[in-house]
Amino acid sequence: MINFEEELKKFHPSLEVEEAEEAIYNHDMTDMMDILKEIIKDSKEKG
Amino acid sequence: MNCYHCGAELAENDFCTSCGADVKVYKKIIWLSNHYYNEGLEKAAVRDLSGAAVSLKQSLKYNKKNIKARNLLGLVYYEMGEIVSALSEWVISKNMQNKKNVVDDYIKAVQSNPAKLEEINQSIKKYNLALIYCRQGSMDLAIIQLKKILLVNPKLIKARQLLALIHLKNGDYNLAAKELKRAEEIDSNNTMTLRYLRELELVRGKKVNNVTNEPRRENKVTYKVGNDTVIQPKEYKENTGMSTVINIIIGLLLGAALVWFVVVPAKVSLTRTEADAEIKQYNEQVAAKETAMEEMETNLSDLESKNKSLQQQIEGYEGDNGVLTAYDSLLKASALYLEGKSTEAAEAVSGITEQTVNGAKEGFQIMYAKINSEVMGKAAKEYYDNGYAAYTKGRYEEAVENLQKSFAIDNTSVMALYYTARSYQKMGDNENAAKTFQEVIEKFPGTKSARDAQANLPSVTTTTE
Repeated sequence: MINFEEELKKFHPSLEVEEAEEAIYNHDMTDMMDILKEIIKDSKEKG
Repeated sequence: MNCYHCGAELAENDFCTSCGADVKVYKKIIWLSNHYYNEGLEKAAVRDLSGAAVSLKQSLKYNKKNIKARNLLGLVYYEMGEIVSALSEWVISKNMQNKKNVVDDYIKAVQSNPAKLEEINQSIKKYNLALIYCRQGSMDLAIIQLKKILLVNPKLIKARQLLALIHLKNGDYNLAAKELKRAEEIDSNNTMTLRYLRELELVRGKKVNNVTNEPRRENKVTYKVGNDTVIQPKEYKENTGMSTVINIIIGLLLGAALVWFVVVPAKVSLTRTEADAEIKQYNEQVAAKETAMEEMETNLSDLESKNKSLQQQIEGYEGDNGVLTAYDSLLKASALYLEGKSTEAAEAVSGITEQTVNGAKEGFQIMYAKINSEVMGKAAKEYYDNGYAAYTKGRYEEAVENLQKSFAIDNTSVMALYYTARSYQKMGDNENAAKTFQEVIEKFPGTKSARDAQANLPSVTTTTE
């Protein structure tokens, strides 16, 4: 049986147009490439 | 594929032929990113939008510069009604690859209709508001907001799911099913939608089972007669002729009651309404006519006063003291004067009042003054002469008449007044004689006539007493 209160917690407010700019700036852009480059850089420094 | 270190084109080797960097893991990461992109594309093709979004996000976690994956993620968001998220992805994509990027067309398409964009933004705000209403327990308000949102932004899956959840909570399973089916059409494999649908099926299944499990009412009676089992309906009524008649009578009575209680009051009400409308219409007509009559009466009163004023003006011209009469009298007097008939001319002039003369034109006044001065003196003398002649001949009444006229024209003629008194004395009219003698004494004191009057006064006074 669905628990309404619990289900409601899964709904989150949508982004409004005014918030788009901030959302873009705060977008987490770290990807595996960045991590890889970071690891290689670290290993080179240590080596 | 280019080297992450120097940017040179990579070959099949696990190292960069230009700078010698190890690109084995790098190539693996790129491969994974592309794999997830392909998976996302496949899911999007069968409208598994939420699944596609998951895959595409995974693809971007491996390689944020996978422009195709980012653009497709934006499209998936757009299709799910998440316009702002879509725009965000497209803007980032545009920032990463400024030229030859398909998102130019997408962004342009969205920006070309600012009204629609604003409308969608409003719908997103309403969604957030509806969510607050839900958390506060105001389900009715939330439903209203969500319905409004779905009119503007029908693809917003979240809104449909939330609306379905509220309907599920309220027990409106049909409405919930409708929303979930629509959500399923947009996003075929959405976990939340599928879960709600399953819940719905479970709830409906229970209800159907409950109905099925209800014990049936036995509508028959079974008993044994000897070896035979007799099955007979519980309620059995034989359909005889009498019962048919009774049924018909009951039907007629019910019909009559229906007519009496339903049709007649409706008819009466209708008739009353029509009558009221007619009365209202007549009242309005009467009021309009009364107003018109009042206006007419006012007009009539104005016209009457105007008529009166005009009548007065006409009388001013044509009446006894009118200007026209005065002109006529003056012309007559002129003609008589020219014929030498001074007394007749004087009579004609005497009819003209001083008021008429003052109100007349200048020419009339000059003419009147001329005739009056010429005629009156002669007329007074002529009357006096005639009066005196009559006195001497013993015709005292004629004398009184002429002498009075002479004195009326010329009130300085003491002789005319004196011989009037004498004529009265001779006629034996002592009262008038005494009065006239007295007038002579008072008006012309110190004259011979006054002294003679004084001398004659005792004789008429004594006789009177």
